[in-house]
Order: sequence, then C-alpha cells, then structure tokens
Amino acid sequence: MLIDLSAVPLADLVEQDDSVLARALRRVTEEATRGEPIAGFNSAL
Amino acid sequence: MISRPFRLTDTAFTALGAGRPSGETLGTLRRAERTRHLLLLRQTLRRVSDTPGWYADPPDDPMTALWAAAGQASPSPQRLTAESGGLTLTVRLEDSDPIRSRLGLTPAPPLTPAEREHWRTCLEQAWEVLVRRHRPAAETMAAVLRVIVPVLPDPSAEGISATSAEAFGAVAMSSPADPDALAAGLLHETQHSVLNATHLLFDLVVPGGPTGYSPWRDDPRPAFGVLHGAYAYLAVTRFRRAEPGRAAAFEFARWRSAVAGAAAGLLAGDELTPAGVRFTTALLAEVEPWLADPVEPEIQRRADAANAGHRARWRVRNLTVPPEDVARLVAAWHAGTTPPPVTGVLRERDGHDERDEPTGRALANPARYDATVLPSYPSSEVVLALTHALPDVPENVITEWLSSCT
Repeated sequence: MLIDLSAVPLADLVEQDDSVLARALRRVTEEATRGEPIAGFNSAL
Repeated sequence: MISRPFRLTDTAFTALGAGRPSGETLGTLRRAERTRHLLLLRQTLRRVSDTPGWYADPPDDPMTALWAAAGQASPSPQRLTAESGGLTLTVRLEDSDPIRSRLGLTPAPPLTPAEREHWRTCLEQAWEVLVRRHRPAAETMAAVLRVIVPVLPDPSAEGISATSAEAFGAVAMSSPADPDALAAGLLHETQHSVLNATHLLFDLVVPGGPTGYSPWRDDPRPAFGVLHGAYAYLAVTRFRRAEPGRAAAFEFARWRSAVAGAAAGLLAGDELTPAGVRFTTALLAEVEPWLADPVEPEIQRRADAANAGHRARWRVRNLTVPPEDVARLVAAWHAGTTPPPVTGVLRERDGHDERDEPTGRALANPARYDATVLPSYPSSEVVLALTHALPDVPENVITEWLSSCT
C-alpha cells in the first residue's frame, strides 16, 4: 500500500531517507510499473 | 514526516470498479499520482547537480511527471477552457513540448491557428453534450484531464489516442473528426488514467501471466491490458447508451457484450488478485444489466457479427494448430470419423510483426468468416489449418465436418 506524501514539500523528501520512503519508492518505481506504460484506443476497430 | 497509507472504503472501491468514482475517490487518486510524481522528482533531484527547469512547476502536472521520469526539463503552451452547466473543463493543448513524444504516439507538429480552432470548437461542443447528458462522466473528466497532446493520425484509423501510466491526466490524440468522436475518445482515455492511478494503489493482476484475446486489439494481450480495455470501453458503452442515433446504438450493442465478455473472461481466469476480482466483479455488475436493454434487431445482429468477426480474425492471426493436431484431423477426415477436439495455441513470437501473418486462401477474404464459418465453428484457426492440409476439399464441407464435433 502506498503512503500519502502528496502534502510533503519536495525539499523535505529530498532530505528524507528512511525505510518508509524506500518502501514508497519501491512501490512507484517497481511494483506499480510492471506491465506496459501505454494504453491506447484505435477507433478503426 | 507524518504520512498515512492511502485507503478506499469497500463502497468507494466498488464504485470505482463500476466506473463511477466519487469526487472523494478521484481526489485520493490524484493525491496518489502526486505522491508518485514527488517521489520521482526526489530521485531526479538527488541525481543531478543543477536545479532542473521543471522544479518550479507544480509537481502534479502530468507533463512534469514525464520530464521527471526522463530525468530532464520544459516550455509552456496554451489552454482550452470549456464551460457548461456550471462545470468547467480546462486543458492544456500541448503541441510543442518535446517530452510529449513519450506518450506513445507520434506528436503532430505545432498546430496552425485553424487546427487550434478546430480543437477548441470540438472541445466546447463535446463538453456541452457531456455535461448535459453524462454529467457524472463529465465530472470525472474535469477532475482528471489536464493535457491533450495532438498526434499524427493513423491512415488506417478514423482516430487514435493513447494514455501513459507515467502521465496521469494527459491524453495523446489525433485531431478529432467531430465533437462526438472527441467526447468518446476523452472518456475512454480518462478511464485509462483512472485505472492507472488505481493500479498505483492496488495490485489488480498477478504479473507475468499469459496473454489472450482482447475484443479491442489485434494482438494477444496480458490480463491488465484486457482490464484496461474493458474499463475504458465501459465508459464508452455508457456514453453510447444515452446517445441518440443508429451509430450510437450499434456501438452500444457491440461494446456492452465485449466489455461483459472481457470482464467475465478475466474473472474466469487466474490472473486477477483478490482486489482485481472485486474490481472486475463491480465492472461486470455495472455492464450486465445493459445486456437486457432493447436494441433494434438488425443493429444487434450487425454488432454481434462485428464482435464475432473480430474474434475470428484474431484467432486466425494469433493462433496456430500444432502439426500433430492437424495430422490427427486429416487422419480422422480420411477415416470418415468425427473430428477430434482441437484448438489453436498462441503463435510463438519471433520478433517480427505478427500482423503480417498468416496468409492463405482463407485469409484472402477474411470477411467471409464473419457470416459463415464462425457461427458454426468458432475455432477459425482450425478451419484455416485444415483448408491448407486438405486443399481439394471445399471449405464449406470442412466447416460442416468440423462442426460435428462441437
């Protein structure tokens, strides 16, 4: 489960380095990015 | 640093699966995407010595996310605003930022004033229809859509569009034929963004599973690709359900069964996680009642034929019958017995475009499958394999014989 860091200033995130952040980073860079990045629509179908 | 895990209630998650997310849910998804952007920006900032140009921009801008993913910097273009019924849609028409090529389609060159005016007119008219007749969908779109990137058209298509999981709220789209096409395309792509954000919070499919049939693609698709298609077409189907005219009725009739079939297929397989099962169950429950909506019989017949024809062509294109199975069929034919049950297997990918194959007399007129072969024998790849193995036997005879084993 991803933690909500949306209200954390970017500068704080740059300084922060702990296991909570590492877990969140893993979520957005590895787990949730498996698969194709592009979904598409072709109206000629 | 105080932070809480993202959560959705069961009710909110079910509504999301049904393609009816609440404003609160959309807010959660937007915060999740903002979190993702911030984390990517953090990583980039820790890698580079100079302050990147995007550092001063709001980190929830989808194009900023693309810059962050690429580890680089950006310019600034024009906004389109459509207002109707007290609901406003504001999007950036992005035709210059070089990072826009990362949205998956070839960007169009910078727009001429006439092209820009076409986009503006289409958007205003599309928004009018959406707000007047599809307000919940319009509210979702207003909460999600931020950027439209014009792309070059595909000569073989009436219109193309795409969404990147790296750019929540951005849509790449060729110039719309009319406001109706723009409305349907934006609804479709908005769903992709919503599903991508959902996937950021919940694993919906087990990674690494097999590929299979998708009613919207010519190639074999992974389970998440099928779910993407079903979720996007759920919104298109709902849109067509409330639109007037025979063309809308045809699309509604076609996509309702395609969405229901895709969702049911996913639920019957092993690729969904428990969250994916809940999500897809809600999706199927949303579309299932629409299957009972009355549609003019001739329109329904054409919609069914279009779906059946797509499936038949997909099978011929992507499945092959192993030689030993063809030999068993040929032996049964010569022995005068009933055919053994045989079905195709996915062709092995060897790096070249599978759409170039196969060729053969059956494919010389693929439309023939729509009306004749498919209804009596769904495994069109088996028919094709046997017509090659028994070139002197008329195809209708082969088809009839194969049908005797179903």
